[in-house]
Amino acid sequence: MGILAVREGGDVAAVTSPPSERQSRLARRGRMIGLAAVLPAFLVVVGFMIYPVLFALYISFNDSNGLRFDWVGLANYLDILADPQVHQIFITNLKFLISVPLVIFAALVVSILLFERIRGWRAFRVLFFLPNVLSAAVIGIMFKSVFGYNGPFMAALEALGGERIDPFVDGNLAIAVIVLALVWSGFGYQSLLLLSGLTAIDPAVFEAAALDGAGWWTRLWHITLPNIRRVLGFVFIINVLYTFSSLFGFVFVMTAGGPGFETTTLDYLVYLRAFSTSNLGSGAALAVLLFMFIGLLTLVQARFFKLSEDD
Amino acid sequence: MSASATSATLSRRARTPIFLLLVVGVVTVLYPIVFLLTSAFRSNADYLQNPYGLPGELTFRNFVVLWNSYGVGQAVMNSLTVVLIALVVELALAILAGYALAKYDVPGAKLFRAGFVSVMLIPSQVLIIPIYLLLSRLNLVGEFAGLILVYIATGLSFATFFLSLTFRGVPTELLEAARIDGAGFFRTLRSVAAPVGASGIATLAVLQFLAMWNELLFAYILLPDDDKTMLTPALAQIGGRYLSDQPLVSAGLLITALPPLLLLTFASRYVMQGLAAGVVR
Repeated sequence: MGILAVREGGDVAAVTSPPSERQSRLARRGRMIGLAAVLPAFLVVVGFMIYPVLFALYISFNDSNGLRFDWVGLANYLDILADPQVHQIFITNLKFLISVPLVIFAALVVSILLFERIRGWRAFRVLFFLPNVLSAAVIGIMFKSVFGYNGPFMAALEALGGERIDPFVDGNLAIAVIVLALVWSGFGYQSLLLLSGLTAIDPAVFEAAALDGAGWWTRLWHITLPNIRRVLGFVFIINVLYTFSSLFGFVFVMTAGGPGFETTTLDYLVYLRAFSTSNLGSGAALAVLLFMFIGLLTLVQARFFKLSEDD
Repeated sequence: MSASATSATLSRRARTPIFLLLVVGVVTVLYPIVFLLTSAFRSNADYLQNPYGLPGELTFRNFVVLWNSYGVGQAVMNSLTVVLIALVVELALAILAGYALAKYDVPGAKLFRAGFVSVMLIPSQVLIIPIYLLLSRLNLVGEFAGLILVYIATGLSFATFFLSLTFRGVPTELLEAARIDGAGFFRTLRSVAAPVGASGIATLAVLQFLAMWNELLFAYILLPDDDKTMLTPALAQIGGRYLSDQPLVSAGLLITALPPLLLLTFASRYVMQGLAAGVVR
């Protein structure tokens, strides 16, 4: 036990090389105190995280209005998989994937520029991070304001000879504005992720390449990018995850899923089904399916980018 | 030239355009914020004349109207109450559990760790239906206590994981020395582990405050009554209903964004450290 405890990171109570009764009593006391300290947090997590997830699974196999539960097996799942509206919304969700290359490109450019330790790069770093401390609700309404019919963007467009339009009456334009909001709010954080990858590269590699006469672009292509491909892969994965799980806030405040269902995403649909239909089972099944889909997607991507390999 | 020790592999000539490019980036990031700042202090008539220009007159009227007539003052108080209580309880639970997992030989530690880690990535969509039903059975829908519980629970697994890493960095010899002097669990935690891990605790507190303050979905569905509404959903309502009065909406956005912006300004070190933790996450 003593060896195990030390290996686990230096345990205080159980460093018991000379076994005496007093010390083993102390060790047992230490274990009990440790257990008592972990239990409150663990019980909260069990009660309000693990139990709800299992409950969600149970609901998804039922036809339920929240009070009555009629077991229907896989019917909710089969209905969702066959539902043309869900297919349509899945395709809508795929459109949001356009944000992924945009965010990564912006983040990559910024991180490489920051990496050059330009004057004031620390201040730049903090400023680019600014959108990340804001709520999706704030960012969403802000973008709705700036790009709305009466907003400064359309006013400027009109002043330049264009015509004012309301982008939120057209599904694709509305998606474009949401994608802009996604890029604006995401690239700073992700450029910092990439920057940490860049900082981890051994400077000697760059110096050696420079001595060999490799120019800046050559070094970028042959040294910098290959060296951060794991971080790039990670950033790619979290961006794909965001498009399937984190659009609720934007959609909720910017379009409420409209016009029609043209900007309704899967995570927004879960909310709609949960609180505006009589069958909670369907909403729960959709949430479970979305969760499984996201999990599967992450695993596939992690394998594709070989994130688990130590290279 | 010592500056080139890091990576400065670009020629000096190339650095000015890069600097300018970054400035353009910053302007892009800051523009919406500046837009809020300028429009929030204008009257609607003044704004409609020239939406993207500078204000002709400055007024605090929007803030006064929001605060008094749109329930924003109440919502700010509600948000502060819920977030601060949830934050304190969550930190207390996570400090206890994280410290024990890091430095004590907890029976079943593997099971606990697996439990905490496995729920970390569960999206809130999966939770909304069961949690709503669960809380309505406990008569906690429409009560601050329900939302506080949810915020504690959803943040707790990450908090515990994060703090167990923080406390693992506390030298065991220090704790040993305190123990030989007769200090028990709480004493070593309070006088040795917590001070040494203070920066990690502060980082976590900042991260969790931001997450709770900015949360929309649970705040919206769990506190439906107007007098108990949280600030973020209240703002979402104002933004949806009164978009023709942009200065009013801007003022609401500024009020909501103020605490996070203040944190970024005065605790940017912790915000940035939290970011590094996000990589681990």
